[in-house]
Amino acid sequence: MDTHVLKMAASVSGLLKPWTSRVVLVRWSRYNPYYLEPEVRKEAYNRPETELSPEDQEERQLKTLRPIKAATSGVTSSVFDDPVISKFINMMMRQGKKVLAREIMLQTLENIKKKQVERYHKATGGQKEEIECNPYEIFHQALENCKPVVGLASIQKGGKSYQVPIPLTDNRRRFLAMKWMITECKENKHRRTLMYEKLSQELLAAFQKEGNVIKKKHELHKMAEANRAYAHYRWW
Amino acid sequence: MASSCVRVVGSILGKCANCSAIISPVTLQLFRQVCMSSALHRKNLAAAGPEQFTAEFVKKQIDEFEVGKRHLANMMGEDPENFSQEDIDRSIAYLFPSGLFEKKARPLMKHPDEIFPKQRAVQWGADGRPFHFLFYTGKQSYYFLMHELYGKLLNVEKHQDRLRAKGLFSSDANSMSLGMSRWFTKEELEVSLVETISTHDLMERLLSMPYCSLEQQFILQYRRQLEAQSMHQIVQPLQQDEKGVAYSSAEGLRKTSRSSVVLRDCGSGRVTVNGQDCHHYFSVLQDREQLMFPLQFMGVLGRFDLKCTVSGGGRSSQAGALRLAISRALLSFLSEKEGEAMRQAGLLTPDPRVRERKKPGQEGARRKYTWKKR
Repeated sequence: MDTHVLKMAASVSGLLKPWTSRVVLVRWSRYNPYYLEPEVRKEAYNRPETELSPEDQEERQLKTLRPIKAATSGVTSSVFDDPVISKFINMMMRQGKKVLAREIMLQTLENIKKKQVERYHKATGGQKEEIECNPYEIFHQALENCKPVVGLASIQKGGKSYQVPIPLTDNRRRFLAMKWMITECKENKHRRTLMYEKLSQELLAAFQKEGNVIKKKHELHKMAEANRAYAHYRWW
Repeated sequence: MASSCVRVVGSILGKCANCSAIISPVTLQLFRQVCMSSALHRKNLAAAGPEQFTAEFVKKQIDEFEVGKRHLANMMGEDPENFSQEDIDRSIAYLFPSGLFEKKARPLMKHPDEIFPKQRAVQWGADGRPFHFLFYTGKQSYYFLMHELYGKLLNVEKHQDRLRAKGLFSSDANSMSLGMSRWFTKEELEVSLVETISTHDLMERLLSMPYCSLEQQFILQYRRQLEAQSMHQIVQPLQQDEKGVAYSSAEGLRKTSRSSVVLRDCGSGRVTVNGQDCHHYFSVLQDREQLMFPLQFMGVLGRFDLKCTVSGGGRSSQAGALRLAISRALLSFLSEKEGEAMRQAGLLTPDPRVRERKKPGQEGARRKYTWKKR
């Protein structure tokens, strides 16, 4: 960080040339790369030695020797803490208003539960088992249904740029599903509907594999299928 | 720069005993050194490479250091025989207080072996013939290491072939357990060989053989022992108050918040922060979750009474500081294994993340001004 500051100062002092930023490493962390990620869940520490595979044992030994980063403030070992839900809350948050984002999420889950329980009580005996009442289950399943399988990348070849279908990593798929869900609920709603209301509607629709987000996913898949001929342009 | 500092300090302390009130020789020395350094600057220093120090020079420095150390001990009123490096550092910090941020720019007095890089003695005898048989390779220690390593590899292979001939070969004979050590880094190997090297993986080949434990001692020479991180934890002592209730206290920090917590083993789950109830002070659920995190992780939620004080920072950083303080105080009630589990959950590391400063020429820490083509 000090070298970056020094570089900045040195370049600003050259007054005759127009100042352009140098490309220095952008992502850096206050932690030494030697530090390992913390493991917060309690179950990981209760497993006896016999259950572990050799890689797990090696990892366990490595953890005793290396320093560990501090756990972030959004994470606890409580059973109510879900990493996917935390990620979704962080993505919904704007201007650092975590309190508001968390409120919206809780209201969404409550709303989902209410609607499902209503439906449960109205349904007849045979259909009762099919209705899922756990809002966490619905959230996870809806997100799974929204995740695209392939994505498109813009690749330039011979002066023209083509949309080439590429495989996506797990993290990227999860990110796209969440991003689509949030943008959809922010933009395509009536002025008077609240965010949690619209979000619960979209989540329930996605759970049933209907709704605008699922449509968007299918459109992406169709585009990828249409551009299948250019798949060999991918070199990685 | 550091070497000239040491020379100055050493020479001052060396001269001190001889001349109590004579200033001029010392200043003359200083002037001479200053004049010499400006004369040197006229030569092209870059072409000469890193500065070379002769063995006699280093020896003289060591003598001066020892003498200076004794004078320093006398000055501080301590025993010259048992004056350790820590005492030297302490005394120098006391006598020459410096507010400079760069630690390497501050006055220091260390043994010359640590300051002057290790040089190689003359490699050839009076007749001009080099001592080492690999001298003409240019990197004699490095190639000698390779040569030795290959010799040991062949040795192990021969041993294995002998066992195979006798029919006693078993491929899962104990390979060495290298768990608690790591290889020297390239820098450390360079320091030990006093040569520059490029990467190599002949060692891995030696390790891949099942009978490599024959050469255990040789291999361990090039590995550095690691110590378990859990040994670095400081456990607060457990104290008892008048009613016989055990309690312990600890401090925590996060960003600009500083907190201190007293954990009492009474059996109620009351939490007081700055005199107020914790629900009153922390209205947000996330902060209360952070307070409860260490207790919930160890499963001792209702057992302890918390009396916390916190100041500075915002809502979230105060909660983080309290969490660290609670975890540290909890260590004195727990066994070592549970303490290790807490450390691996990230509860005992103070969070080093602070607000990044704004840079000149940019609007914020990362955000640049709008780029205009013209």
